[in-house]
Amino acid sequence: MDIIGPVIVSGITTGALYALATLGLSLVWGSLGMLNMAHGTLLTLGGYAAFTAASQLGWPVPLAVLAAAAVGGFIGALIFVLVAYPLSRRSPETFETTIMIATFGVALTLENTVLRLYGGQPLGQPLSVGGAISLGGFVLPWQDLVIIVSAIALMAATALFLTRTKAGRAIRATAQNPDAAKLMGVPVARVYLQVLILSGMLAGVCGVLVSSITQLSPSLGADPMLKAFIMCVVAGLGNLPGAIITSFALAIVEALVQFLAGARWGFPALLAIVILVLIRRPGGLFGRVEVRRL
Amino acid sequence: MKRQDFAHLLIGLVVLAAAIALPFYVDSRYVIGQVTLGLFYAIVASQWNLLFGFSGVFSLAQMALFGFGGYATAMLCFYFGINVWAAMPLAAVATVLFSLVIGAACLRLSGAYTALLTLAVAQVMYLLIVTDTDCFVMVGTQCRQLTGGAVGFARFGDLGTRAMFKAKFLVADYALVVILFAATMLFTWAIVRGPIGLAFRALRDNPGCAMARGISRFQMQLLVFGLSAFFTGLAGGLYAAHFNAIGPGVLSFSQLFFIIAMVVVGGIGRLWGPLVGAIVLVAADEAMREIGEFRSLGLGIIIAAVMVLMPNGLIGLCESIFDRLRRLRTRSPAIATEISGDTPA
Repeated sequence: MDIIGPVIVSGITTGALYALATLGLSLVWGSLGMLNMAHGTLLTLGGYAAFTAASQLGWPVPLAVLAAAAVGGFIGALIFVLVAYPLSRRSPETFETTIMIATFGVALTLENTVLRLYGGQPLGQPLSVGGAISLGGFVLPWQDLVIIVSAIALMAATALFLTRTKAGRAIRATAQNPDAAKLMGVPVARVYLQVLILSGMLAGVCGVLVSSITQLSPSLGADPMLKAFIMCVVAGLGNLPGAIITSFALAIVEALVQFLAGARWGFPALLAIVILVLIRRPGGLFGRVEVRRL
Repeated sequence: MKRQDFAHLLIGLVVLAAAIALPFYVDSRYVIGQVTLGLFYAIVASQWNLLFGFSGVFSLAQMALFGFGGYATAMLCFYFGINVWAAMPLAAVATVLFSLVIGAACLRLSGAYTALLTLAVAQVMYLLIVTDTDCFVMVGTQCRQLTGGAVGFARFGDLGTRAMFKAKFLVADYALVVILFAATMLFTWAIVRGPIGLAFRALRDNPGCAMARGISRFQMQLLVFGLSAFFTGLAGGLYAAHFNAIGPGVLSFSQLFFIIAMVVVGGIGRLWGPLVGAIVLVAADEAMREIGEFRSLGLGIIIAAVMVLMPNGLIGLCESIFDRLRRLRTRSPAIATEISGDTPA
């Protein structure tokens, strides 16, 4: 029974990270109908930005995290202005697929830029805390606690932003029906820009958190992104609360499978679950089946 | 339709003539090798084009199928001692069966969902192969994993061209790939212009309407998935046999998107798009070899820029230029001469 504790702790920690990565992806998918293949690279950029700020420029921790968010948000804005906006204007009917290919091009470019700037060898993220606390038999590393708390705080902040502010309401309106939103005077293009900036900032901070328990490498974001994709799909693309619940549930399942059958079976098991779920419920666990008029 | 057939036939013959002429004019082994590689890519790209460009199935498992064909060929030779020539068609059939399993799991959904699931399948395949460390058989003192592990398979048997043609074996291999490419294009063309091709295109352009007319989306998309897997798997087998090696590298993200970039650059849903894209990208890749480390960076920029600036690819660009010229000519001749008179000679 000693082993259940660490498995659950690591499951919840990775769950928090997946949830954060999924949140950004889901936000963009829900409002723009765009799968951002460069999301993983935004994670990577955030991790490296914090690394540069903290260990090369000597900035204090909060500033370094802000720098990560700023870089993520800036690149998110660039992706919208240079790629997503022109593409959606030019060919809205094929946008869903073309944007995936185009953002993959962006991801390839950014990842190689990081590789050129920092080299391929893994670097240690300076923003991590050592030690652990012990709670009635559970050993909880401080770093995991920091990750869980900051992920939940970020998710709560995002939820408050979306439900309580005017900008958040505009985002939700646009996600629901862009044409109706436009008619109500919502500047839809600006809302899209805000969504991508927000998602980029979340990705940047998520990258700092991911790199704090692993290491910085140019392909840092690839694995969390692929899993975040899977979780988005199983929750129903664009469903935020569903995506977060699914992330935690699947991360715990993954940790269990990795413990019971070996690390390499974690992801295949996830995929099998996802496919089984989708055969039963093609719209995802929490997805609504949309009735589309032809 | 008749006129289009004639045009495709003409282009096909010109391409074939150029392919046959190439080894007579080019002596460099390096160039022949790179053209051979480019043709392998063009075959896979043309099958992805059949799947995505003509049928609207956004699958990201094409290189996984290619890899499956290669691995199946290598493993048949390695474990059962089968001749490479017999192993390749067997592997191609196995690839079709494998693709039907993937398709049955992933094609119930559409659009981005299909893309993500197929990508995940490809990634799982890659991870399972790379992390395979259990010994399956011992070769001499070396341990060998069932899937070859991170190293892959090598020296499992070759096509026999080395023994038969000695120093000229590269040209012989090149000829084999040209034949496979020609067969692939003929196959693609036959499907696209036939009644099934119409069904595929109807599902791509308006799934709702097509389904209302009695076309089963799942069955038809599974069919095209399986069809496109055959030549992809066969090409994988020939690739493994040509290099006498196959490794997990073919399953990587960047290889997959190199293929996709070819279709995008050439023109999605254009029969000759993948070939044009393969030529342009392999040439660009060679040109960027000079600046060495910036190759994949440049490739990324090319993919994103082409997608944004010319979504119909080079062939689409040519089409729209021709269209404009034709419209100029059919307008009143006075205007046409006026406009052409304005442009400097």
